[in-house]
Amino acid sequence: MTTPDTATRTRPPTRGRRLPGDVDMWVMILGDLFIFGGYFVTYMVFRAVSTEEFTAAQRHLSVGIGVTNTVVLLTSSLFAALAVIAVREGALRNAQRLLWATGACGALFTLIKAYEWHAEISRGYTISDEFFSFYYVLTGVHLVHVAFGLIFLGVAVRELRNPRRRRPAIVEQSVLFWHMIDLLWVVIFALLYLMR
Amino acid sequence: MTTSTDRDFTKDKRTVLIVWAALSAATILAWLLTPGESQTATTLGKELVAAIVVLGLIKCRLIIHYFMEVRHAPRWLQATTDGWLVVLWLTLLIIYLV
Repeated sequence: MTTPDTATRTRPPTRGRRLPGDVDMWVMILGDLFIFGGYFVTYMVFRAVSTEEFTAAQRHLSVGIGVTNTVVLLTSSLFAALAVIAVREGALRNAQRLLWATGACGALFTLIKAYEWHAEISRGYTISDEFFSFYYVLTGVHLVHVAFGLIFLGVAVRELRNPRRRRPAIVEQSVLFWHMIDLLWVVIFALLYLMR
Repeated sequence: MTTSTDRDFTKDKRTVLIVWAALSAATILAWLLTPGESQTATTLGKELVAAIVVLGLIKCRLIIHYFMEVRHAPRWLQATTDGWLVVLWLTLLIIYLV
């Protein structure tokens, strides 16, 4: 059983409409989604020009590793969503533990990705190949977002540990950014690993 | 004593758990649908690619609506994210198929 750490237990209304996080975070998220969207379409256009070369190169990727990383990131998002609910419940210690679990999944995702990069480079698949140049840039830029996401999660944990701060909005915003990382990976996974 | 707020929080937790299970199941389903590395030498069939695109779109919408809580957000945000999803996946599918 979780005991509320604070007196405030607020659940956002479900009938009225409410912006999760704040407008600034949404400007950043929507901006990122549109920039990545443009890059996804560019990849597909290049793929359409050299379909056979791209398909052959894509077959060197392990779908199993892609699936594992997707499930790891989806699980991190589950922990992050539960952390937001825990904050609203006032179960702040539980929220901190869930944010740590989210970060651990993010670190695991990074390790698996590093292993995959190492394996591909060892087999000679570098940016000299057109598909792999897209693969390294797309997954690399995504990894940079994971790193920023981990920093934002750290800020949220720090916020919850300080009894004088504890602003639920900060946790909501960090978690929103984390879900965006998950969202972008779902598209990258389909694009690079499945649509071949 | 269990209050209505407690019940609401329990419902919220159950919802995100169900969404996570659905997302993981869709990921594994897409994996099972995709042939292994040595099974086909050519590109995938149109129906299979369409299935991958539909599964991808559903997964993205579940993340946006339930994890990012856009289902309770103002209509402009719902319209923008839905617009992004449909335009992106449709464009990717058309370019793949053409």
